[in-house]
Amino acid sequence: MSGFLEFWRILLARLPEFLPYLLRGAVVTVEITVATLLFACLFGLVLALLKRARVPLLGSLASVYIELVRAVPVLTTLFIIYFGLAYLGIQLPSFVAAVLGLGMLGGAYMAEIVRAGIDSVHRGQREAALSIGMTPAQAMRFVVLPQAARVVVPPTANYAIGLLKDTAIVSTVAAPELLFAAKTLVSQTILPMQIYLLTALIYLALSLPLAHLANAMELRLRRGD
Amino acid sequence: MGDFLQVFADNVHDWFPPLLRAAEVTLELAVLSIAVGLVLGLLVALLKVSRLPILRPAAVVYIEAIRGTPALTQIYLVYFGLAGIGLVMDNITAAVVALGMNTAAYMAEIYRAGIESVHKGQRDAALSIGMTPLQTMRFIVLPQAWRVVLPPAANLGVAILKDTSLASAIATPELMSRAYDLVGQTWRPMHIYLLAALIYMMMCLPLIRLVRYLERGARRGEAEAPGGRGLRRRLAEAWAAGARHGEPGAVAK
Repeated sequence: MSGFLEFWRILLARLPEFLPYLLRGAVVTVEITVATLLFACLFGLVLALLKRARVPLLGSLASVYIELVRAVPVLTTLFIIYFGLAYLGIQLPSFVAAVLGLGMLGGAYMAEIVRAGIDSVHRGQREAALSIGMTPAQAMRFVVLPQAARVVVPPTANYAIGLLKDTAIVSTVAAPELLFAAKTLVSQTILPMQIYLLTALIYLALSLPLAHLANAMELRLRRGD
Repeated sequence: MGDFLQVFADNVHDWFPPLLRAAEVTLELAVLSIAVGLVLGLLVALLKVSRLPILRPAAVVYIEAIRGTPALTQIYLVYFGLAGIGLVMDNITAAVVALGMNTAAYMAEIYRAGIESVHKGQRDAALSIGMTPLQTMRFIVLPQAWRVVLPPAANLGVAILKDTSLASAIATPELMSRAYDLVGQTWRPMHIYLLAALIYMMMCLPLIRLVRYLERGARRGEAEAPGGRGLRRRLAEAWAAGARHGEPGAVAK
């Protein structure tokens, strides 16, 4: 029992020292999440359009890529990009490697999400746009994609939550994010339980509001049906 | 490019066997974690759909806490955190405990979606012929829930198989750990991590096939199922509940 009280006394006593340090790491976690989300959206859109437009070769390459990258752990793609590319002479900063490593898989997810969104728009919409003289690209840009966005938003929010948690993996390539900050603190203080608990709480504080936002958006969009 | 492939050709017979042996540990970790997740997850799900005081909120907190934090943080908590307060585990046990508890939270949500997918009339009918609530769950609800539970559960299995790679962070002797060691010995990261990726593909791609097969089967059942009209939505909910990396699935197609 006294050990239990001692545990919390230590945590409270060191909190003013631990919390700012961990929060600085959390800022990097958010930065990596946002940068990867943007990259994955763009990459995913390109993959989905390549696949859809049936561009010879590139279209099938996109399909194969989407299939294969989902069968590989994020940690492995991250190591291929960070250590593998360094071996070939391309030394990426850990932040960039983190965004690319997480975004490789993210692009494949986003491609599937965008494709489902495009499929959800009635064929007649595109045909009507073409019949009034729009080019296929214009029809996609001004008619199909804006309507697809509605279907795309909720799964994208879900992906963002998964991504936020997956950023913890980039601590293995020394990107200075939350879990890396925690590991550094642990090595200095040898208080793993206190620090990792605090870290888990900060992740919760980041992901729970996002999860509620995703739920709220999904309910709202479903009501619009 | 030629040199790159030449290095592969020269060394693959040295690299492949140790990596394959480590892949066995990966499979063991995955199977054990899934087993823990299936059992513990059902318990948590039953508590969550129950009206038991204290236990129901505890199940909700468990699910939210696990699903809101990264698996890697949980592995560190179990391995380093518990050791810090005197509970020391070897790295394989720690990996199975952490990944198993993680799987249980996602599995609980899949079970819950499955249980809720069974029409309320089924339960009412069972209770009205004198079954106890537990009998109703065991003989009426759960057998019907399987249809919705199976595809996302298999999908979760793929995610866990991949997430066993995180156990390399505590030096569990699985595939990524072994690859990391080999890179240290040979300094050929690109070759060895690509080889590791290939082995993960060999394990995951057949499983992904199985997931799609189960999913098609579940959707075919939609038309004939009792009260099955909302099945598509239920399936999507179960899928989203079990998506560890926010992967899109099921009804997205």
